[in-house]
Amino acid sequence: MTPPLAGKLHEFVTQQKWEFATALLQGLSASDASDLIMAVRFEEQQELFRRLPIPLVASIVNHLPYFHAYVLLHARSLHEMAAIVEAMSQAERDHFLDALPEEAWNSLMDELAEAGSTTPPHAAEISEAQHEQSFAARTPVDEKPIIEARGISKSFPQKDGSEILVIAPVDLSVEPNTIIALLGPSGSGKSTLLRMLTGLAAPTAGEVRWHGEAVRECIPNVAIVFQSFALFPWLTVLENVESPLLARGMEHEERHRRALKAIDAVGLKNFETAYPKELSGGMKQRVGFARALAVEPEVLFMDEPFSALDVLTAENLRGDLMDLWLAKKIPTRSIFIVTHNIEEAVLLADRVIVLGRNPARIRADFRIALPQPRDRKSAAFFPYVDYIYKVMTKPELTLAPPSATAKQPAPLLPHARPGGVAGLLELLIDRGGEEDLYHVAETLLLEVDDLLPILDAATMLGFATAHEGDVKITPAGRTFAEADISTRKHLFREALKHVPLMQQIVTALESKSDHTMPMEFFRDLLDERLPAHDVEQQSETALNWGRYADIFTYNSETDRLRLILAGETAESQEATRLH
Amino acid sequence: MAHNKTSARVLTWGTIPRTVPSILQDLPVICAGLALFYALLSMTHYWLAPANAQTEIQLGVSALPKYAMFSVLRIAIAYVFSFAFTLVYGYIAAYNARAERFMIPLLDTLQSIPVLSFLPGVMLAMVALFPTRQLGVELGSILLIFTGQVWNMTFSFYSSLKSIPREMREVAEIYRWSWWQRFTQMELPYSAIGLVWNSMMSVAGGWFFLMACEMFVLGNRDLRLPGLGSYLQTAANAGDMRAIIWGLGVMIGIIVLIDQLIWRPVIAWTEKFKFEQVESVEAPHSFVLDLLKRSRVLPFLARVSVIPAREYLSLYFAKKQAASASKQGAGFIGRWVSRLILGAMLAGVAYAFLKMSMLLAGLTKAEARGIFVGAGATFLRVMFTLALAGLWTIPVGVIVGLKPKLSAIVQPIAQVAASVPATALFPIILLMLIKVGGGLGIGSIVLLLLGTQWYILFNVIAGAMAIPTDLKEVCNVFRIDKLERWRELYLPGIFPYLITGFVTASGGAWNASIIAEYFRFKGQTYTVTGLGSVISSAADSGNSRVLIAATILMAAMVVTINRLLWRRLYALAATKFKLET
Repeated sequence: MTPPLAGKLHEFVTQQKWEFATALLQGLSASDASDLIMAVRFEEQQELFRRLPIPLVASIVNHLPYFHAYVLLHARSLHEMAAIVEAMSQAERDHFLDALPEEAWNSLMDELAEAGSTTPPHAAEISEAQHEQSFAARTPVDEKPIIEARGISKSFPQKDGSEILVIAPVDLSVEPNTIIALLGPSGSGKSTLLRMLTGLAAPTAGEVRWHGEAVRECIPNVAIVFQSFALFPWLTVLENVESPLLARGMEHEERHRRALKAIDAVGLKNFETAYPKELSGGMKQRVGFARALAVEPEVLFMDEPFSALDVLTAENLRGDLMDLWLAKKIPTRSIFIVTHNIEEAVLLADRVIVLGRNPARIRADFRIALPQPRDRKSAAFFPYVDYIYKVMTKPELTLAPPSATAKQPAPLLPHARPGGVAGLLELLIDRGGEEDLYHVAETLLLEVDDLLPILDAATMLGFATAHEGDVKITPAGRTFAEADISTRKHLFREALKHVPLMQQIVTALESKSDHTMPMEFFRDLLDERLPAHDVEQQSETALNWGRYADIFTYNSETDRLRLILAGETAESQEATRLH
Repeated sequence: MAHNKTSARVLTWGTIPRTVPSILQDLPVICAGLALFYALLSMTHYWLAPANAQTEIQLGVSALPKYAMFSVLRIAIAYVFSFAFTLVYGYIAAYNARAERFMIPLLDTLQSIPVLSFLPGVMLAMVALFPTRQLGVELGSILLIFTGQVWNMTFSFYSSLKSIPREMREVAEIYRWSWWQRFTQMELPYSAIGLVWNSMMSVAGGWFFLMACEMFVLGNRDLRLPGLGSYLQTAANAGDMRAIIWGLGVMIGIIVLIDQLIWRPVIAWTEKFKFEQVESVEAPHSFVLDLLKRSRVLPFLARVSVIPAREYLSLYFAKKQAASASKQGAGFIGRWVSRLILGAMLAGVAYAFLKMSMLLAGLTKAEARGIFVGAGATFLRVMFTLALAGLWTIPVGVIVGLKPKLSAIVQPIAQVAASVPATALFPIILLMLIKVGGGLGIGSIVLLLLGTQWYILFNVIAGAMAIPTDLKEVCNVFRIDKLERWRELYLPGIFPYLITGFVTASGGAWNASIIAEYFRFKGQTYTVTGLGSVISSAADSGNSRVLIAATILMAAMVVTINRLLWRRLYALAATKFKLET
């Protein structure tokens, strides 16, 4: 796609010359037209979708990435959407609808039905196929939810009296016979959300209902499995498992019987008298499961239960859990699992909820209609993983509902080291300049949690672009990755000129006659708009980047930054400081 | 070495029972129970006797067992009070945010007040409570020992409660543990190890101040209680060297016995409360604990008493919790009760403050000057002692710590040496000093040194042992010379430990100055200028004006030094000099 054309389209949109834009796009093939649309900013794409004539839009839709098209379609009213779908050719419509994940497909069908359009002829058969698929996922939709959260949010008061919104108002329900996986990048408030649902933490606003009744303290019939196991080292396995039963005032014999049953169920028979420290990590977590199952919880909550285990142990334990669940050996009606492992979510869950952050809000909520047990090598498995990657890497702007109460969060520095960015770029060059994020994560053995900040850093610096779950190196990125260390530093310094926080620091240092400032000053600046944890990360990253790029030196004893002037190097400056 | 020996002993004990009737195995346990019963009986008998403040202390050796028993019981009862106080105070401070805000600074202040400053108030109150019975003076003495033991235990319990991991608390909350279950299955076990170590320190402190707590002058009354402390003090007054050595021997014997019979088993037992995920390779062993575990009487007693009681209590509180969960009444009443207590406490503090200011207004210029000059002198003395202690303990500690074989020999010896209360040695040291022409000036510093150097030595050894081997190897590889090694590795390496040692030593030195600067010996009272002697003589003469003023000054100085000096060094140690491996 030639840049001048994209520039022209951009011009037409900003000047609102819709007829010119229409003419321009109509002159191209459908696939070229869709490429051209993808070359302009997302807001402009939405605007275009809103203004272009329906037949033109209908011809382009199928050439856009399916999820993107789905979002763009929603720029129009329901009736227009229905008209667009109607106007598509039979084959294209089938292709487009087939590509949609079930949740998106479901909601689109609902919307089309609402718009009063006639059901597409093939919808019935798809629906039948969907129905067949979801048989294993036991989804009687009409059953009432066990736990219902309405508009729950969490915010923390700041020193200056304002509040930082950590979790934006969220509606969420836990319905019976479902495994729900809550996914999100680290620090997105997954654990806090879980704690609000269980009643461990009170939401700042909104309410949690359990069987329709408002929850004030802990919900009576839930259990949590913790990432750190949270076993009591001074109690034996049996005593650990018995402890919640004792709390219910259960007599000795009954308590003993139920605890033994739970221990047996997780495969720890004959370990009753062992102490947790005598067990391996996997066995410890089995005790954690036994303790949770002993109370026969209606909803079993799990907070990253497999994260502290090695890959094989985790896989093994996951399998055993699914066996118990699928064979209905446990009376638990729903499982709610918090994880940052995308594959794990697709492997286990009937329903996946993806959280975004700053503040946390639901970015996607869809069903996974694959039969259990699932095979991660199967053809149907990968599209879900890919789709979640896409949702998680998509710029937050597109999905963020405007919220009046929250402060506008300033762009944060992704918590990544320059070395990590360079590593990613080198890998991309190896792979021919472009690669699927899922494969990058696999190759680098990184969880999405660790990969995303590196990717964000690379995009922020203009070294790479992420799009639809793929990452692509830019010419600048290529130059950077192929350069020697001093050139790299120079390029990094140039790239940082577009990063607001770094520029702020440089300007501040330049304004002082001695070119030094205490780091505390910048920390205070950040402190005004960020929670303490983020301040730590931001200042650490800023220090890392600035020192790497030879912008300033930092003396940890005096906590002062010092600008490196032209013609000076970090070493020469250090030498003058010492004299 | 020691480890091998114990296991060998265990082996023999394991083989004997086949030939010996099982009752013999339990003999020690049964005997101990009977002895305890007899001791309590004779103690109560004596307590309820009419008041006789002027007990004659006999210096005959035959009187020693009785005196020793009285002293041990006194310390034990004071310890039980301390433990109960610790649980209540620590619990409230940890869970009531409003109370915490003033309870913790209060604890900090109380900790810095020397034992003797509590003396007149405590004694007068107790004697007034039981004017005709010995119980009054006895309780006073016990409360004095209590004031020397309790604070660090309370601090330890409080900070343990505050550091219980979040997820553990969440388990208790999500499964709705009752108050009792949380206490017995989470809070107490989690704090156990800290409590045990601080208990050992507290009881050692009890021995240190025993002489002062059993024999004292209150205004015109000369009070003495039968006990090991008063025996030693009387022997010192009379200059009876033979009695001093006998008393000292018995005291050391008891301390070693208590260490073997109580602390070692308890430490070995609390090993299971260690908050670790992996089993440690070398766990402490105790011969006595093994013996108890082998006993058949104890499990039987546990089966009929502790286990049913625990079951009953757990179920009782669990059911109560379930019942109260539905109605919110308890929380409401609890809030009002705590408010009422809070109000009463605040009123009490305000009243005491008012009374105190009125009293202090009467302070004469000469008295004020004496207090300030004394404060300066004691400050210099404490600092000099710490410097002196550092001067010998740092090189010795590092050398010992760097050689594992040497430290295996030196550490147990040093531990026994440290367990001997310096106050008990004082008469002997003073006698020698007087012979060579020295006086209390040097004597007080020697006493302070004896009381405080061990904290520093132990910490330096521990620090040197913790220096990572790879860093030492780097020094060898690059042939870094001795001086450089000390400057670049050893001193920074032990720094955090050294600071911990100095903090404890500094607190101990200020407290010990009370005894070190004012000593009755051979019928004379030896004094040197210092805040400690001001407090001691004010307590003796019943001058509460001077006593309070000097105490406030001492507490203020200790707290200020802690805040300004030690806390900053602590922060530095925790950040810059932390060796992370």
